[in-house]
Amino acid sequence: MFGFNGVTIAIVLFGIGLLGLIIRRDLVIKLLALGLVNSATILCLVSLGAQESGAPPILTPDMRAAIVDPLPQAIVLSAIVINFAILALALVFVMLLVERYHTTDSARIERESDTEEETWN
Amino acid sequence: MIAKRPARSRLRRPPGLVVVGVILVTVFCLVAIRDFDYAGARTSGSDVWVDVAHGTGAANVISSIYLGARLFDTILEVLVFSVAALGVRFYLSARGRSYEAELVPESHIVRVAVGVLLPPILLLGIYVLSYGHLSPGGGFSGGVIGASGLLFAAISLGTAHVSQRMRPPVLRWMEWSVLLGLIALAALPATCSLPLLADPLPAGRMGSLMSGGSIPLYNGLIGLKVFIGAWIVIKHFVDHRGEI
Repeated sequence: MFGFNGVTIAIVLFGIGLLGLIIRRDLVIKLLALGLVNSATILCLVSLGAQESGAPPILTPDMRAAIVDPLPQAIVLSAIVINFAILALALVFVMLLVERYHTTDSARIERESDTEEETWN
Repeated sequence: MIAKRPARSRLRRPPGLVVVGVILVTVFCLVAIRDFDYAGARTSGSDVWVDVAHGTGAANVISSIYLGARLFDTILEVLVFSVAALGVRFYLSARGRSYEAELVPESHIVRVAVGVLLPPILLLGIYVLSYGHLSPGGGFSGGVIGASGLLFAAISLGTAHVSQRMRPPVLRWMEWSVLLGLIALAALPATCSLPLLADPLPAGRMGSLMSGGSIPLYNGLIGLKVFIGAWIVIKHFVDHRGEI
């Protein structure tokens, strides 16, 4: 029914990552799911540019085959760096939350934060 | 009068419904791209980018895109990376150590292996960033290879020892100087009355080391920035728990 290629795998991985982000309560698992979503996006972009028997986008004097589309690969570079930055900062925030509430359970953190808020009010 | 906020539990959707929704959207996307014309999407822009690469003199077409046509985008990306490193340092320095983990002494074999492997790893990082305009690689990958070499050394010798050798005040000064250097290099065409994104340096002969105009310079600065930034992130995470 479906062609088996990088884009279809990326869509499935994106779905799994999104599910992990929504239904898992552990903050560390949520970060891993975010990483999976990001990797799926990268796979999708690279697969869109890839082609069978396409040469790598490095120009040489004896180049015969046409090169693969280089634009997705250039864009993916930004995605990787931004993902590193987001994950590093998110991990710091998770560490701060764990130090304060002694749990990685997002529902419990939310409940305790609500209780704190009510106490302040 | 301020409206009363509804209880958070009421805002939550039943998880079962969300799971079904996400699965349905995934299947819909799979069905929707079934007849997608991949070949048509791919070949539309390759020739344009080959012309761009010939203009910059860099054999690596990707380098000529992200350090040529998308230069400002790349600089903002480096800025985001710097802000993340700054954020990690700011939050973790303020918290101090969570607990005093001590360095686990490594065996003699690991210590000798670090001494033998660290120079080639750093050399590989320098090679990847200096040949980034000719072959796969560039500043980002070269910087990360160098920082992973430092992490390797920190695992064996301890972060405190490696950090002392890296001279933190010089590192801090260099981190921001490199960023300023990148911005100044990008603004150079405007100050020389050239069009924006024009390269003030000659393109050179494609395929030689001294080609690509200012792309090797950008690669060097980005590599240094990523090397320092990644090390700062690693160091602060490790410092927060005591030792590796």
